Amino acid sequence: MAIINQAAKELQVKIVYYGPALGGKTTNLVQVHEHVQTAQGNKGKLVSLATSSDRTLFFDFLPIEAMAIKGFKTKFQLYTVPGQVIYNTTRQLVLRGVDGIVFVADSQYEKMEENLKSFANLEENLKAQHLNLADIPYVLQYNKRDLPNAAPVEYMDFLLNNREAQAPSFTASAHQCQGVFETLNMITRLLLHKFVTESGRKAA
Amino acid sequence: MPSLPQLIEEDIRELNGALGELLRHSEATAALVIDKGGFLITQGGESEQFDLTTIAALAAASFAATETIATLVSETTFTSIYQQGESSSLFVANVDEYCLLTVIFPATVSVGAVKYFAARTIGLIAAQLAAAKERAPGSGFDLSAMNLADPTPLFRMKTA
Repeated sequence: MAIINQAAKELQVKIVYYGPALGGKTTNLVQVHEHVQTAQGNKGKLVSLATSSDRTLFFDFLPIEAMAIKGFKTKFQLYTVPGQVIYNTTRQLVLRGVDGIVFVADSQYEKMEENLKSFANLEENLKAQHLNLADIPYVLQYNKRDLPNAAPVEYMDFLLNNREAQAPSFTASAHQCQGVFETLNMITRLLLHKFVTESGRKAA
Repeated sequence: MPSLPQLIEEDIRELNGALGELLRHSEATAALVIDKGGFLITQGGESEQFDLTTIAALAAASFAATETIATLVSETTFTSIYQQGESSSLFVANVDEYCLLTVIFPATVSVGAVKYFAARTIGLIAAQLAAAKERAPGSGFDLSAMNLADPTPLFRMKTA
């Protein structure tokens, strides 16, 4: 749940990168951390709570700031979840207070079942927190497009984005930093748009 | 999306006052009010020596993990956690459904004292946050000033 601090003139929002194991969630954060153009002090440390073999154990965390709204500092806190099936409790904890979601799908044909299971798991975990995916801004990222066995985008859209309201989707090769910033900029835009709508509704 | 809690200057002033009182009485180094989602709401004390954004995210996650462990051992909840260090220690306590109080204090200070003084601080923080929640949401914050049609991306890649 986003925090608006009028005194400090800042807005804080939480974005969670979700998806199957080894899909590239951590790579997205690493690339943002390495390549983002920010004023000094606007990018925090990338913290990874990972196993000795660099698999995410709890989460990765990256705070970045931008002046999204005139006069208001907007702090985006980027988190990843562990993709491995056994870590579901941890995924539920990281989803607490989520404002926006990036679902990082693995484009390889043989990973489609894992993508679908992970997406279903996301919906279940949101429901457990009395949240509905339809009410949360989210974008899809079809990662690993550079691999030879990548499935066509239309096929991935059919599997993962076949809802009444389609989510924006982006192709990416996160390890080459392709599609990473497009995805991040879209989720931040959707989030801010949602806040404007919510704020207008409340003010009315 | 859940409603947006808005904290105005009065809220922050009250929260900072409560933290200041805690710091004076307990001799703690720094005290933080954090949201359970991992956001830092406000802080007091000698905070510039710490990376408070990261501490807030990790303390919230640590507390969330502890709460889950509580349910696994048939406890309703653990209301606080305490990490004892050689030079500094950490105490994290539940404030309400949404917030936590985190206190960083020298290891020479008794955790009992910190817990004792924190109990009053927790009450003050909870009352102020409840007042903030009750206040009309949307007041004094006009997000419509943001130009959504502006196609400029918020985040850009560094040029080589």
